Amino acid sequence: MDAIVAKRISKTFGRRKALDRVSFSLPEGAFLSIFGPNGAGKSTLLRVLSTLARPTEGSVKVAGIDAKEHPDQVRERIGLISHQSMLYGDLTAYENLMFVARMYGIQDAEARVRTLLKAVELDHRRYDLVRTFSRGMTQRLSIARAFLHDPSVVFLDEPYAGLDPHAVEIFDDLIGRMREGRTFVMVSHDLQKGFDAASHVLVLAKGRTVLFEARENVDFEEFSRLYHDTVGMGVA
Amino acid sequence: MKGVAEQPEATLQEAEVRTGAPVSVRRPSTWAHYRALVKKDLLHEMHTRDMLTSMGLYALLVLVVYGAALAQAGTSLDIQQMAGGLLWAVVLFTSLLGLNRSFSHETADGCLDGLMLVPMDRSVLFLSKATANLVFLLIVEVIVVPLFFFFFLGTVGAAPSWPLLLAVLAVGTVGIAGVGTLLSTITVNTRGRDVMLAVLFIPLSFPLLWSCVSAATAVLIGAEGFMDTFTMSMALAGGYDVVMILVSWVLYDFVVSA
Repeated sequence: MDAIVAKRISKTFGRRKALDRVSFSLPEGAFLSIFGPNGAGKSTLLRVLSTLARPTEGSVKVAGIDAKEHPDQVRERIGLISHQSMLYGDLTAYENLMFVARMYGIQDAEARVRTLLKAVELDHRRYDLVRTFSRGMTQRLSIARAFLHDPSVVFLDEPYAGLDPHAVEIFDDLIGRMREGRTFVMVSHDLQKGFDAASHVLVLAKGRTVLFEARENVDFEEFSRLYHDTVGMGVA
Repeated sequence: MKGVAEQPEATLQEAEVRTGAPVSVRRPSTWAHYRALVKKDLLHEMHTRDMLTSMGLYALLVLVVYGAALAQAGTSLDIQQMAGGLLWAVVLFTSLLGLNRSFSHETADGCLDGLMLVPMDRSVLFLSKATANLVFLLIVEVIVVPLFFFFFLGTVGAAPSWPLLLAVLAVGTVGIAGVGTLLSTITVNTRGRDVMLAVLFIPLSFPLLWSCVSAATAVLIGAEGFMDTFTMSMALAGGYDVVMILVSWVLYDFVVSA
């Protein structure tokens, strides 16, 4: 079964069309990297796929569930890691995760929270306020937050923004360990990194699909040239 | 992707995360969501004391300004006649200050998106936020009202019916917390949200304020027939609370999603 099926998604803000009939389907366990210049509609697409925004037209199915008809069932199955941490700076790491665990109804929440805090190597800082964390530590905690309820589809919205190279390495390692059995959709400005991680690539420009292809069918040099020739020159 | 067996150095915790060991999840009830959200807001305030400190200090400053202004009038003013209005002015402006801050930590760092991703009835967000605001406002009133009595009614005294003022404060504060929570959600992302909240809040809450001032004045003076005024005003204030909280409950999903 496909993990995500997007059919002719359009999203308009007033007279501006942020997404224009975007369609694709993604098999379970795939890793889709979405590329495009600023304003291409990448983050809007991610918000629509993750039920944070409703499409003006078109439909989205996640794990075979229609996001418009049953948004809560979709929300049970998805996680989001963004450049914004979605964590309360004035709560401790433990309080943040326990709050999320209670909201999702995770049984034996305390054990699950401790497991994830250890996995992201923040157990020793569990009683510290999140606002005292570095950007990298906050991002690691936001990974723990996103995986608490064991989502089968994970959305990553420019997760590398503001991370130093070491933090990027740690982040990649964590995501790598959590890939098994999950589908990922990542918005990235980093062509090489996004391409390397992906099983599928999607290029957007001005809200339209320029390219959607399995990575095995695309050579990076060719992909990079196509990206710059179309997106870079504003052809699309 | 390497399996667990291929990485003997991996810790048990890492393995559990990597392999996605079954996580037992049962959709919580609306009541459980409500409790978790209220607890989170109370914890947040316990760590920051942001709203309580700012509202408490502001209320005390208003009392000082009242004191300076009324001292100039000497004994020519009947403070009992004005006490209800003065008290509600303190409550109203203090509430506006707190309500402006009540939603700001939800918009910081995308926390609101995090809440929107949780499968739940979004109206419960309204109830929990209004409850937290109500608790904070009542705490500030517990400090400010006795001080108000001490400074302004200490010498002239209040009528024996003054304990009924507690009921007026309770009904009025519930309405302020309810309507204020909805409006603070609407204005949180607007430019000049401090002014915008006041511009929307004062006209919308005018029937409540009028009733509460009327009821408070009646019980502080305790003149003949005060009970009629009190009962009618309280009925109006209570009706306002019920209608506005129901409207806010119904509208909240749309407001917070927008």
